[in-house]
Amino acid sequence: MPDCSENYEGEIQDGFNIRSIKCKYCNSTILKPLTATFTTIEFQLPFMKQITGEDVGTEDLSLFWLVADMLIFENVGFSNTVGNNKYLICADCESGPIGYFDVISKKSYVALNRIKHC
Amino acid sequence: MAKTYDYLFKLLLIGDSGVGKTCVLFRFSEDAFNTTFISTIGIDFKIRTIDLDGKKIKLQIWDTAGQERFRTITTAYYRGAMGIMLVYDITNEKSFENIKNWIRNIEENASSDVEKMLLGNKCELEDKRQVSKERGEQLAVEYGIKFIETSAKASIRVEEAFFTLARDIKANTEKKLEASNPPKGGHQLKATEPQRKPTNWLSRCTLL
Repeated sequence: MPDCSENYEGEIQDGFNIRSIKCKYCNSTILKPLTATFTTIEFQLPFMKQITGEDVGTEDLSLFWLVADMLIFENVGFSNTVGNNKYLICADCESGPIGYFDVISKKSYVALNRIKHC
Repeated sequence: MAKTYDYLFKLLLIGDSGVGKTCVLFRFSEDAFNTTFISTIGIDFKIRTIDLDGKKIKLQIWDTAGQERFRTITTAYYRGAMGIMLVYDITNEKSFENIKNWIRNIEENASSDVEKMLLGNKCELEDKRQVSKERGEQLAVEYGIKFIETSAKASIRVEEAFFTLARDIKANTEKKLEASNPPKGGHQLKATEPQRKPTNWLSRCTLL
């Protein structure tokens, strides 16, 4: 599992994110500390960089920050709906997907390896 | 979890295609990433948090991308909108002329108390300008709305425009709250308090 290569244990306290969650590329604040809960769920998230002309490449991810209500986000963008999901992007530089939104449960999942903690 | 904000404002960006609404969609960062994957699917809306006079305000901002012609935008799209940013391109005369059509469309379909603001975009392209700043100002006066020229590409005053619109909505909201809540009046206030809560404007805002 590629997303186990980094140590995320220090980022979790009582299940919540200790530090802010920011965009890897432009530093935009996505979530404030203690607003998301750590969860494991299998999801095939498309890569942020795609090879043009080929099918959409995806990455099997399982470590996510669960955001119970979309209004908990400080800054985030939602893509149009694909199937039962919307993809989450940085509101400032529009890099993504950094995670996904489940249209049915209305819960958002931010991939730990697509953002930075600081 | 406790509510993490004071107000939630739903805003719409309206205007012809090509006027740069997508760039105005609250992008403060200059180097946009926009991978092919995301740009193919398209962006639905953004959530932004701003601090306005000590109040934490969540802005939910929609773009009309994909349904650019005013005829196709109907009541459903405007439902719940509290603020509308009318965007034209200062280098495109037609986009400016169409603002009147957009305003008519808003008057026919949106709530009458929706806050509007006129935004002349791409002001960094001065050498290609077709619409003078004065004409923009004049149109805004005609409709009694605020006006600003912005450059989404250079992030010039885009943030200011959203703060201005949000501040006007906030003032409006607070005025309405006050009107439905007569200021401190002893016994009478207590009697009406329990009924007031369900009619709080926030409870009328449903998401998606």
